[in-house]
Amino acid sequence: MSENLIHIAGLQKAYGQKDVLRDINLSVGKGQLLGLIGPNGAGKSTLLRCMVGLVKRSGGELSLFGHDPAKQSLLIRRRACYLPGETGVYQQMTGAQFLKFALGFYPKQSLELKQRLLEQFDLPLHMKVRSYSAGMKQKLALIATLVPDVDLYLLDEPDRALDASVRFYLRDVLRTLKDHGKTIVLSSHHLSEVESLADRLEFLLSGCFVSHERLQRARAHLRRQPRIRLRDGYELPDGAKLIRKELDGMLIVETDNDPMQWLRSLPHDAVESAEVGVDRLEDLYQLLLKDEAAPRCGVGIESAGGDE
Amino acid sequence: MIAGKTWREIRMVGLAYILILEMLAIPVLLLWEEIYADLQRSTLFSSLGVDWIKRLGSAISNRNEQAAYTNWCAVMLFFRSTNLVGTATSVLIGTGLFAREREADTFEFLLARPISRSSLLWQKFWPCAIVVTLPIFIVNATMLPWSWSIGLDLPKWELFLASLHAASFALAFLTLTMYVSIVVHVQAHVAAIVGAFAILQIGIYLTQRIRPYSLFRLVDFDWYGPIMTGNTPAWQMFDPIRSHGFTTYLLAGTVLLYVLSWRAMQRTEP
Repeated sequence: MSENLIHIAGLQKAYGQKDVLRDINLSVGKGQLLGLIGPNGAGKSTLLRCMVGLVKRSGGELSLFGHDPAKQSLLIRRRACYLPGETGVYQQMTGAQFLKFALGFYPKQSLELKQRLLEQFDLPLHMKVRSYSAGMKQKLALIATLVPDVDLYLLDEPDRALDASVRFYLRDVLRTLKDHGKTIVLSSHHLSEVESLADRLEFLLSGCFVSHERLQRARAHLRRQPRIRLRDGYELPDGAKLIRKELDGMLIVETDNDPMQWLRSLPHDAVESAEVGVDRLEDLYQLLLKDEAAPRCGVGIESAGGDE
Repeated sequence: MIAGKTWREIRMVGLAYILILEMLAIPVLLLWEEIYADLQRSTLFSSLGVDWIKRLGSAISNRNEQAAYTNWCAVMLFFRSTNLVGTATSVLIGTGLFAREREADTFEFLLARPISRSSLLWQKFWPCAIVVTLPIFIVNATMLPWSWSIGLDLPKWELFLASLHAASFALAFLTLTMYVSIVVHVQAHVAAIVGAFAILQIGIYLTQRIRPYSLFRLVDFDWYGPIMTGNTPAWQMFDPIRSHGFTTYLLAGTVLLYVLSWRAMQRTEP
């Protein structure tokens, strides 16, 4: 049993009359990578801000490293690095000046990782940050966040504005950090990538985690929804109704009976490709969004990706 | 770290502030001879029906040229230059202290660093405090050789005391602006609020019956004149019980506004 770095019980946060977080319960052990998934405004950023002590909770319990962020946030910030959702980099500084400034707060740094990231990201560090693209600014912020040698990394959409190859590289870096015993909490909109990386996923919807049972129900429901691509000239056969059509022409359908049986019953040359039983995170996300009535807080799920 | 960054951000404003104060002061002093001659002949001040302008006119047209010159410097260096330029510089620097960080999305970045909010506030404040106060002492010290060059002198200790009083006022305005910059999130709004407050205070000052209620009453000729001519000794500036103690009020106001800023800083959210 791993030591819990983060312990949250009944956490609540409200801005005026608006409840942003409601009854959040969570424990994250040392060396775990937790993925936070949720639509915009679900409360992911607020949860991370509560953890690092930037915003004060309205109720419940919250501790990181055994410290309460509302009272001892400095002790937490000495051991945790936080990447804000909005890329906060100083436009008037050069890239090198910004890194010197941002990293200067941390006595211990991973110089090897710094070297790796600088080589991979290939940023023009001698140039003013104001001349950087959004992706370059995000890379700079990532270096400033990941290089300090701390125990916990709280990353709010670290893959924002990054292209696929950099996101892929970032995934490797996060895996390396995890292998070195670092704990990571990250929120992201790139669901499939988080799924392949995280030990655990928590779906945040309207300020609380979606319960395990509800997730299981949704996943079971999705397994009855084959994804098929029909050859030109073929209509959707009987026995299934169309749920939606993807931009790439893939049809997501719901079958009346067993999806495998339905697929077998189709004319042999009608189907170009088909997937059954793959409960994609993106689909799950959409299904949960549709079924938003009275979401109940609860525990999350072990990721399909998990540890490799 | 943060103090160094703040210093780099405001050092050019500080330099411009020194140059403006110096540029405002030098011509006035170098033209003193002609101005004094005109003042001797003029009946403008005495013909005006406003008491404080009469007092000012009488002081700067004193038959004793050294006394008249000292009063003239009190009017020009302090009542005019440091009050206006000092206030403007305090507002300019203070406005961006925190509101600009919010607008640039760097406020959250700063709050997330392993540094206490008290330290963050202090490291932002003290370089600004130096930039708004030190130039007042530097520029006024340069008035000594300039005065010697026209065959006149200025009392050094009194010049220092008047500079101290002017610096206290600039510091109070800086702290006020810093407080508003923490509480109000948009730079333009901070400037509008503090600017409107300053204009209101000037308006009150220029209205005869309500003039005593203006903050600028604490830094007008009625105080700088006596300080510069040695009629208000240092203890009177600092003792609010046995005398007016206006400098103490300004410093106490600065401390109070700093405490309010500290409190707002502890509570603020990104």
